Amino acid sequence: MRCERCGKELTNRIIKINGVTYCDNCARLMGYDRYLREPSDILGNPFSPLDQIASSLMQMSELDFGNSTLTCPKCGMTLREFENEGRVGCIECYNTFNDNIVREMFKQQGNSEYAGRLPNQSAETNTTSKEVEKVSRKELESGPAKEVEVKASEPAKTETQEPEKQPEKKPEKGGLTIDQLKKADLGMLSDEDLEKGIKLAAEVEEYILASRLRDELKGRKEGENNG
Amino acid sequence: MAEWYTREGKDNDVVLSTKACIVRNIKGYNFLPRLDDKECQSLIETIDGAIDKDIFMGGSAATMEKETAMRLIRLQVLGREGSQMANPQRKAFYYNDDCSESIAIGCGEHITVRAMAQGHDISVYKQAEKLAMDLESKLDIAFSDSYGFLTSNVRLAGTGLKILYTVALPAIAKTEGGIAALTQRVGQYEWTIYPFAERGELADSNVYIISSVNTLGVTEEEVLRRGEMLITDVIKAERACREEIATSKKEQIKDMYGRAYGNLRYCNLISRSEAIEAMGWLRLFHDYDDGGEINCSWNTLDKLTMDILWEPGAPSKRSGASFTNSQRIRANGIRTILKGAE
Repeated sequence: MRCERCGKELTNRIIKINGVTYCDNCARLMGYDRYLREPSDILGNPFSPLDQIASSLMQMSELDFGNSTLTCPKCGMTLREFENEGRVGCIECYNTFNDNIVREMFKQQGNSEYAGRLPNQSAETNTTSKEVEKVSRKELESGPAKEVEVKASEPAKTETQEPEKQPEKKPEKGGLTIDQLKKADLGMLSDEDLEKGIKLAAEVEEYILASRLRDELKGRKEGENNG
Repeated sequence: MAEWYTREGKDNDVVLSTKACIVRNIKGYNFLPRLDDKECQSLIETIDGAIDKDIFMGGSAATMEKETAMRLIRLQVLGREGSQMANPQRKAFYYNDDCSESIAIGCGEHITVRAMAQGHDISVYKQAEKLAMDLESKLDIAFSDSYGFLTSNVRLAGTGLKILYTVALPAIAKTEGGIAALTQRVGQYEWTIYPFAERGELADSNVYIISSVNTLGVTEEEVLRRGEMLITDVIKAERACREEIATSKKEQIKDMYGRAYGNLRYCNLISRSEAIEAMGWLRLFHDYDDGGEINCSWNTLDKLTMDILWEPGAPSKRSGASFTNSQRIRANGIRTILKGAE
């Protein structure tokens, strides 16, 4: 799960405020300090509301309101409005605010490339839900799940009692590190390296690198289709 | 025709409903935040012309009668707080006989297509896709090769698809650390889970919504595949927790189960939170009750739960409506359904 404000992977604590998930840092920046505190912190400090106001004021300088002069020529929406509302006003906004939109997409989803179906074409999907067999707890504990096939890269299916530790963000086996990707001549990398690189770059929030890798891969695919 | 949520669904001991929502926008019109009322009217007329009136009824929200709006809230076509009825002149709603399929215009994006089914049933995706494709064939839809279907809310750009499972998890919620662990697990599938209501009477309802997140970088097939794997996990985990609780504290849980049923069956006034809490106890011990005195099917329990959760016009302190009166009506409705089940 990612912070919906900065896109950082959440590992320690999940703070949900009004349906939006934040990391510790963003919750603090948004002035939601009270959600981060233990009751004892507040009880132990009689001036906590003053502290809260002071820290919020100090952190104001960290807030980025973007370049407010950038305006969509078609609908008149400004970049600041987009950044505040998370909504664009028209199709042209996607060109006007392209870089910011791509960054937003990476933050939210770790990806900005479309992989879905085309208009008026059906997606090839299996839409039959298998009824989950009622098995006793002992059976569940003793054997693997029968119903669903699990890929090696997917989380294993067991009960939810024990949260698993998130794996550290390392390059996939045989993949390049972020430093190597930054220095590499992209034209010399294989498609597989590029795909792994995009995932890795998105995970460590190197969005510009991820965009470069994505554009390289996309250029190759378009070249194949055209040629 | 029977309303969609009264049908018997799969795994309905845990999953109350499965929903698929697809959003689309039309080229030539600004997105809703930048669309004036006149253009909005033109947009509604354009989309109205593409909707199959042999299947769908409804129309402008401005002319919708209050009773119809109440029914559509109860059937989950409109949001449970009725907030979608704000600015009705900019909105229109269409729905089929049993309200399992609906098309909303002007709710966040130009078009929101929705298909719903009771229990665990991912075939709702195909229903929604069929409706979306029908509109795509008749209208000039905003689409880009890079970003897929373009939306005002950039979080939806791409497939514009959300799959939502509404689940009742009284046992996981009563297990220490259960919801936190489940939240971690859901995140590993890049899905999200949130409570049915974060505040108010239903804040502790033990009903959660599990929703897909990604609309970019994944195909629709992958979203459905992950969703099915995840919901299978959730169902198994909830059942395992129920078994653990029902066997380790059998006497106490059986007592709570009987009391909960008694309250629901014979009360004269009942609040929404009390009713939902009681239904949680019924759900918890339902499959372990060997007494045979209480006769309430999963289907009845699900219908009651959804009736309470999507109860239209529930009074709030702000509205000043009578709590006593609404509690009496609610209790009477529950008594009637449970008496019928006996």
